[in-house]
Amino acid sequence: MKIGWKKVAASLVLVGVVAAMVCFLQEENKSTTRSLFAMDTYMEITAYGRNSENAVEAAVDEIERLDALLSTGSAASEITMLNQNKTAVVSEDSAYLLRRSMELWKSTGGAFDITIYPVMKSWGFAGDTFRVPTDQELKRLLDFVDSSQIAYDEETKTVVLPEQVEIDFGGIAKGYTSARVSQIMEEYHIKSAKLNLGGNVQTVGTKADGSLWRIAIKSPDDTFPYLGVISVEDKAVITSGGYERYFEENGIIYHHIIDPKNGKPAQNGLVSVTIVCEDGTLADGLSTALYVMGKDDAITYWKAHKNEFDAVLFDDTGMLYVTEGLEGSFMSELEYEIVSEN
Amino acid sequence: MFKKKDMIFMAVILLLAAGMALIMHYSQKGSGEIVRIMIDGREYGSYSMKENQTIEIRNESGFNRIVIEDGSVHMEEADCPDQYCVKHMAITKTNETIVCLPHKLVVEVHAEIKENDIDSVSQ
Repeated sequence: MKIGWKKVAASLVLVGVVAAMVCFLQEENKSTTRSLFAMDTYMEITAYGRNSENAVEAAVDEIERLDALLSTGSAASEITMLNQNKTAVVSEDSAYLLRRSMELWKSTGGAFDITIYPVMKSWGFAGDTFRVPTDQELKRLLDFVDSSQIAYDEETKTVVLPEQVEIDFGGIAKGYTSARVSQIMEEYHIKSAKLNLGGNVQTVGTKADGSLWRIAIKSPDDTFPYLGVISVEDKAVITSGGYERYFEENGIIYHHIIDPKNGKPAQNGLVSVTIVCEDGTLADGLSTALYVMGKDDAITYWKAHKNEFDAVLFDDTGMLYVTEGLEGSFMSELEYEIVSEN
Repeated sequence: MFKKKDMIFMAVILLLAAGMALIMHYSQKGSGEIVRIMIDGREYGSYSMKENQTIEIRNESGFNRIVIEDGSVHMEEADCPDQYCVKHMAITKTNETIVCLPHKLVVEVHAEIKENDIDSVSQ
């Protein structure tokens, strides 16, 4: 059998074309995952599609930028400088977070308060050495837990804090970061991505195959794995629970969600609060605030803001409450009650 | 100018190429259930979920002992200050993780995606 070189060449070209097509299709299905340690937690980002590598790269840069800007743990951050110098002209990011924090402080009746920071420090939740502050110490510190004492000039972006007041965006910064990363994904035309920023989940679009993301809510108690699974697209799913960070002293467990009213770990009956909504910043702030409020106030708050978010509440009697917007997308092996407006 | 013989030759080459592409495509996924250990964002090692084994890691951050047992993984021991990783319940499903933050160590389950799997855990 004799085969001419021309024909061999033609065959090779054909093979090349097929290979290129296969590569093209694989690029479409390609995914990029990056994990990193930032904002005192472990983060994982996965994006799908041709542009996923660049998008994830940009996301990591943004996370690192925000961490350096906002972290109270780093000596050079904008917020650390503000707390030290008591006045600063702040960045767009901090200005936005300040505005959102003030809104949340007002709408939640003070359950969310960024001026709780000195109290967090006294418990050791800002560092590594935990301790139980005396009632006297807390009483003294609580005088300066009051967001109304923050002076902010929107026009010049100047913040002024009274001598003893310090702020921390820790209750909202991760949610804001996930919202920023979602924007970046959109800028890179990513139609499918998921982020997990230390347990704060944000989804972009749907899964690559078009189906909904299945996000599990961790059970606060390790006797069973999940409270349930929520099917979502384009949503943040953010949970607050005392189990995330705590310490034990003389047989008592002290967790990190501090009630701004008394400066102590919130004990108003809820053990886990999950917020589901598009806006990660809101979800992050509300998960803390509703945890602090307790079940009844949390449900009252939801009724007044039901267009903005949905929630899953788990209380210390083992009851699970799910707001009506999640009916059909929430699944659980536990019994749960649907909360509706009436 | 192309004879039947040539056409057959090209078809065979095309089929071979397509076959290779398919093999490459499928060999990338579906490697079965594995446990992946990451340290500071880098993969330290991958282990079969089906094989009972103990992985001990000692480095400048400290010590961790990870146990794979009957299709589940847990942190048996660690010398980190907070011990959250040791208290974490055993994990079994894809996308579940145990994080030892002080040691920047992450244990993850990776498996073929099944219908009832989850994509992420909110906590």
